[in-house]
Amino acid sequence: MDCKRAALLAIMTALCVGIQLTPRPPNVETTSLICFLVGFMFGARFGALLGALTMLINGFLSPWGFAGIIMPYQMAGMALIGFAGGFYRKVLGGNPNNAANPTKILRLEVSFLAAFLTLVYDVITNIGWAIPSGVPIIIALIQGAWFTVIHVASNVVFFGSAFFILVRIIGNLLGETSWNSPKEA
Amino acid sequence: MELSKRSLTIFGLGWLTSLILVGFVAGYYYMEHQNLLKKLKEYEGCIMHVNICINYGNGTMEWHNNTLVLFGCDLLTATKKVAVVNYTYWASQGASFVDAINNVWNSGRKYWMWYRWTDHGWEYGPVGADRYILSPNETIMWRYEVPQYESP
Repeated sequence: MDCKRAALLAIMTALCVGIQLTPRPPNVETTSLICFLVGFMFGARFGALLGALTMLINGFLSPWGFAGIIMPYQMAGMALIGFAGGFYRKVLGGNPNNAANPTKILRLEVSFLAAFLTLVYDVITNIGWAIPSGVPIIIALIQGAWFTVIHVASNVVFFGSAFFILVRIIGNLLGETSWNSPKEA
Repeated sequence: MELSKRSLTIFGLGWLTSLILVGFVAGYYYMEHQNLLKKLKEYEGCIMHVNICINYGNGTMEWHNNTLVLFGCDLLTATKKVAVVNYTYWASQGASFVDAINNVWNSGRKYWMWYRWTDHGWEYGPVGADRYILSPNETIMWRYEVPQYESP
């Protein structure tokens, strides 16, 4: 990883951790959106690294207390979201028109992906809590049902409304002219 | 409009997500229901049902059947569960006097009186509502009236 990318990773991590620590309703967060976006713009590995690093630091500083045994699961879940961002761009392929003017289908795709990835994240973290606590996994998932619903719904809204706007802004800042898959760091 | 294989896959994942979420929420309420039933069974020996009627004396009657109260509960406490009650404690009588129920205040010659249902029909309450301990399945009536000290 070159210096620019290391600096970018540090800044994005600081941004994500800052947002994570900001007082907010439970399970409403934009870290998933940022990790997915960064994965989309800078590559799957970079997105995964950002997700893992953010949750590592968040695990120590979170106002809810030290994450403990759940931390590796949170890191894995958020890394998956970052990785999925890069993978999604690869699947989309190079298409500069889409980024500037995304179709309704693309917006819907991102919203549905957000719902699925958020659910996977919540399932992973609930498993991470259930196993050491000795609680059956299905009970842990059911007990957190409303938290999962809030998490999924808020991410669907955030991804659906902000993702392509942010892609366009970052694309303009970076002077990207096409959607060609970025080189991995 | 033709959807690509990618879109279809992603939408499929989205629908799967919503189905799973619906399952979680249904499971959540099923679990809550089971927990409440368990709790109710646990406290079965400590609770009882009573029927409380509030008769406003103008043809309007409110029935609160099967009101759940604790064993040893007095009538005033039970009434407070189903209505807004204003009352004054009279130390000289060692009992409380009900001034209003659901914002209908004692006024002029009209007062809130209470009756209990017996084998002989309605009988005037013998003591203040806070001194009267309810029995399981007992039926009580509050009536806004000019006291006549006879069965209604």
